[in-house]
Amino acid sequence: MQNSTVDMIGLIKSTFGDKVQIQLGALGAAAITANNGLHRDVLKTMLAADEKTGITAITGLDLGAIIGVYYHIHTSNVFVTIKTEVTKENPKTQTIVDLHLGAAFHELEVADLLGVVFEGHPSPGHFVLSENWPEGIYPLRKDVKANEIKLVPTPASEEIQLPENKRLVKIIIGPQHPALLEPEKFAVTVDGETVTKVEPRIGYVHRGIEKAAESRGYMQDVYLMERICGICNSCHAYGFVGAVEKILKTQVPPRAEYLRVIALELNRLHSHLLTLGHACLEIGYETVFQYFWRDREPIMDLIELTSGNRVYSSLMTIGGVRRDLKDTDIPKIKTTLEELRAKLPFYRQIYENEPTLKLRMKNVGVLSKQDAINLSCVGPVARGSGYDVDVRKDEPYSAYAEMPFKEIVYTTGDTWARMNVRMDEVEESINIIEYAVDNLPKGPFRLELPRSVPAGEAIHRLEAPRGELFYYVRSNGTDMPDRVKVRTPTFANIPSFLKTAIGESIADVPANFVSLDPCFSCTDR
Amino acid sequence: MVKKSRISPIFRRAVSHIFTKPATTKYPFVKPKLPADFRGKTIYEIKDCNIIDIGTGPKGLTLDVSSIVGSNCRVCERDCPTNAITIVEVEGGKKRPQIDLNKCIFCHQCVESCPRGAIKSSDLYELATTDKGSLIEKPNPNAKETKS
Repeated sequence: MQNSTVDMIGLIKSTFGDKVQIQLGALGAAAITANNGLHRDVLKTMLAADEKTGITAITGLDLGAIIGVYYHIHTSNVFVTIKTEVTKENPKTQTIVDLHLGAAFHELEVADLLGVVFEGHPSPGHFVLSENWPEGIYPLRKDVKANEIKLVPTPASEEIQLPENKRLVKIIIGPQHPALLEPEKFAVTVDGETVTKVEPRIGYVHRGIEKAAESRGYMQDVYLMERICGICNSCHAYGFVGAVEKILKTQVPPRAEYLRVIALELNRLHSHLLTLGHACLEIGYETVFQYFWRDREPIMDLIELTSGNRVYSSLMTIGGVRRDLKDTDIPKIKTTLEELRAKLPFYRQIYENEPTLKLRMKNVGVLSKQDAINLSCVGPVARGSGYDVDVRKDEPYSAYAEMPFKEIVYTTGDTWARMNVRMDEVEESINIIEYAVDNLPKGPFRLELPRSVPAGEAIHRLEAPRGELFYYVRSNGTDMPDRVKVRTPTFANIPSFLKTAIGESIADVPANFVSLDPCFSCTDR
Repeated sequence: MVKKSRISPIFRRAVSHIFTKPATTKYPFVKPKLPADFRGKTIYEIKDCNIIDIGTGPKGLTLDVSSIVGSNCRVCERDCPTNAITIVEVEGGKKRPQIDLNKCIFCHQCVESCPRGAIKSSDLYELATTDKGSLIEKPNPNAKETKS
């Protein structure tokens, strides 16, 4: 790995010279400002130099007369942002989907919310906004007024393009469907029982949290961001708080970092136990589902013990954490984790030997490593396919650099591998929490910081239970942020489902889908 | 040659659980044991709040430093993420916060922000009611709402 890495920034500097401006240390390792059109060449160079180059997110932001389009790019060793801009009169740029498939949904989102036209996009159309949204109004532009939005009548019925081949049948799964707990729609074309095509549609619970954040103070936004997702609430709060702290250029005390790690890992523990159970429910194995959820409950109790509430921990705040961990609580944390660890071998045995699980999970929904890289997959989905991405290892944040843990990678890429990545991560999470509790540094757990944030912009990446969570925060010097961009892990993982479902039986769709641990309410924001 | 048992381990575990104590608790007959710092209903004590009250502290009209702390602060209103706290006028032209627990998300930012400790946390969590009005913590029952 080490000898194959290239000095990406040096390469861009030597290839493009004065045509691009490189600002080191901003928005990742460097922010590369390139003219509209040239950004494609920069990306092309990066893709050619490093096979692991992929798109983490595309941020669109209203900068007055122009719209900034920021491409956040990850490679195997650096994270850079390519900045380009389009004018509001002519908001056109060329698509990058032909260069990197993983960019497709990111472009659709920017097109929907900011009105940037990506010329040459393979499947343009509404992706986040509803069908009855008026033309020409882009909600994330600053000049939009809520009272001017007049919804147009909903089209009587969506035009369903029937397949030409009469053998094929189109089945619409969702937005309300017993197998999918959240509202999302997949139009699945089947030939007999075999899936031949999947067309996704999200946005049914789009709440405009990114826009709402622009009219609230930083302190209020922490709680708003936390409510993007109930399961990984600490991760969302920390994503926002971490970005704001980077703008403020503060370093929180070591004790706060350790307490944050404990909160984030408790999140991961209960999220993984939930998914491991939920996957069993989807294949009709309710006994195991009930056992997993029973064992998840003590973890919820730990979250309640450390934060004051079993779901919304509200622990993160700008400058540290809101409450300290009492020494008297540590024995309870340790015994609970020890009990969970003792139960894991039984569950491993179930996942390993149970014929029902093996039939429905092994060799189902296989995602190859190359596809995982091409589609910019994140988290357990990528790691189940042998693509080793884990922000905790790649770019350690908080106190993760000091934590001893293994990065779990499976190579088979099927549903079973994705679930087993989570199973092993449960054990690693227990190790991390135990280490953090044992080595908790003494000292303050919070800094008092000013309420207003200086002008600036920052990104923050962290490994949420479902994969990499990405935050971009831009401040204009007032007490409210100018732009908050959230890229949730599920958003990056939907393309992998579209890939893996094809060629599989329609009956395997729910189990395959749940193995992504999808969370559409957080993806819609 | 011994034939390998085909009984699934999960079946054995499930059968054995018929004879063990259930994992669930019998709420509401058995109340859960809450941790010490549980974030429940916020309890608000009007006498401790001191906005727009410069000089009318415990020592009458003298201006002592302790009475100014929190004067005209409205920190609770500003920090509330859901705008559950509004400032209303009470008798004597004073202004006091009113907490609408219907909107409250129990983050307890107000408890943390209040410089005079007028809002306290409690572990009351059984707030279900058929009368939404009873969940508004008014500084006085006939308070006139003046949004400012």
